[in-house]
Amino acid sequence: MMDASVRLRRPAWLRAWGVALVPLFLTAAYLGLVWSPQDVNQGNLIRIMYAHVSVAWIGFVAVGLTALFGALYLWRGKRRDDVLAVASGEMALLFSALTIIGGMTYSRPTLNTFWTWDAKLTLTALMVALLVGYFIVRALIDDPVRRGRVSAVVAIIVAASLPFNYLAAEWFRTLHPSRAIALDGSGVTMAPEMLFTLLFNTVVAGLVYAWFMVDRARLGRIEAQLEAERAERELASVPSGGVVRV
Amino acid sequence: MNDLLAVLWVARKDLLHETRSKATTVATLFFSAVTLVVLAFAIGQDEALLRGAATGALWVALAFAGVISAAQSYQADLEDGAFDHLLTTPVPRAAVYLGKLLANWLFMLLLGLLMLPVTFVLYGAAWPAAWPWLLATLALGPLGFALIAVFYAGLTANLRARESLLPVLMFPIVVPILLASVRASGALVGSDDLALAQGWLRLLVGFDLVYAVLCTAIYHFVVEE
Repeated sequence: MMDASVRLRRPAWLRAWGVALVPLFLTAAYLGLVWSPQDVNQGNLIRIMYAHVSVAWIGFVAVGLTALFGALYLWRGKRRDDVLAVASGEMALLFSALTIIGGMTYSRPTLNTFWTWDAKLTLTALMVALLVGYFIVRALIDDPVRRGRVSAVVAIIVAASLPFNYLAAEWFRTLHPSRAIALDGSGVTMAPEMLFTLLFNTVVAGLVYAWFMVDRARLGRIEAQLEAERAERELASVPSGGVVRV
Repeated sequence: MNDLLAVLWVARKDLLHETRSKATTVATLFFSAVTLVVLAFAIGQDEALLRGAATGALWVALAFAGVISAAQSYQADLEDGAFDHLLTTPVPRAAVYLGKLLANWLFMLLLGLLMLPVTFVLYGAAWPAAWPWLLATLALGPLGFALIAVFYAGLTANLRARESLLPVLMFPIVVPILLASVRASGALVGSDDLALAQGWLRLLVGFDLVYAVLCTAIYHFVVEE
């Protein structure tokens, strides 16, 4: 059951957070475009990388969180978990679409082709298709409880498919430059200024994602309340003994 | 023990229904054969090109047929409300899933075995020396495919536009299965490269294991009323 008094206004702390993102974003852009040094091989083209890689990382985190909130919804059955899953899913779709655009912008001048069938690019394209499927399923189910459960199941299956898709695409053919940062933290082969710029951009991308997700979840709660009220009104307008069409 | 029996009974029910109606058999058999012929036309006259495309064409034909088979296995149940009866029986939902999976897998296995010689004749490919591994691919690939297909067919069975929805939802998930199956059988048929094929087979086994556990665990969220 939703709280009867959902606030319609964006709370002050959320507004402050949104305003604070503007200078942070400008700083991240300054660091990437001006402050950080040129790359030995790629020259100024390396500057695309800061925006591209940070957005890609956050996109994958967003898919994982969508599945996580989905799993929480299956476990506890609280509507707010479903609302958070959708909010995160929409951002995941946006970020992975941006990753593809960024990747194509980056690979045209560096690898001389828009599309490379490279593992990471293929994986991201599949992720977009999978997330679109997630929203198609949501749009087709009217009952909020069933919609939440089925879409949570889809999100979990999607998140589990990513490592397999990655492996398959990696073995299929890969042209992508090898990761400069190993996941265990060893073997960083980047200039410290570059690494700082990349990490700063990633943090800002994460804050942008989180802001939009929190705000979208706020709207989602209002939507859920509206949906519940509408269902109640429809139920009340049916004379007793009448048949409710669902 | 009883649950295992329930799995076998659900599978038996589906297979029995199929042997009597033969609806899916006729549709998928001709559909996959036609797909093989059409793909051969699309590739053209070049014999080397045809030989190289043989395993790819086989898996495309099997994948499309698998979608039909999985959707059909719920269609027959839903028509007379039999599926609701099935769900009210005191067996776990997972047993229903595994039973349908077993029936679909056996069906695709048979279809694969029938289409294999057709492909070799139409595309002029040479029978590989390590043919037992080809059969292993033919068993593990459709298993992974059926795992996802039966799961998603249950999910879409009650939805509008299910015919077009099922492939849209499931194909991005089974990309690793298709890739691994095509590459493994291609390595065997084209170049007799056993080591390469075994690498891809390992991916198939991993996929099958992970999704067998995952899908069985969360299937009851998909079909509950």
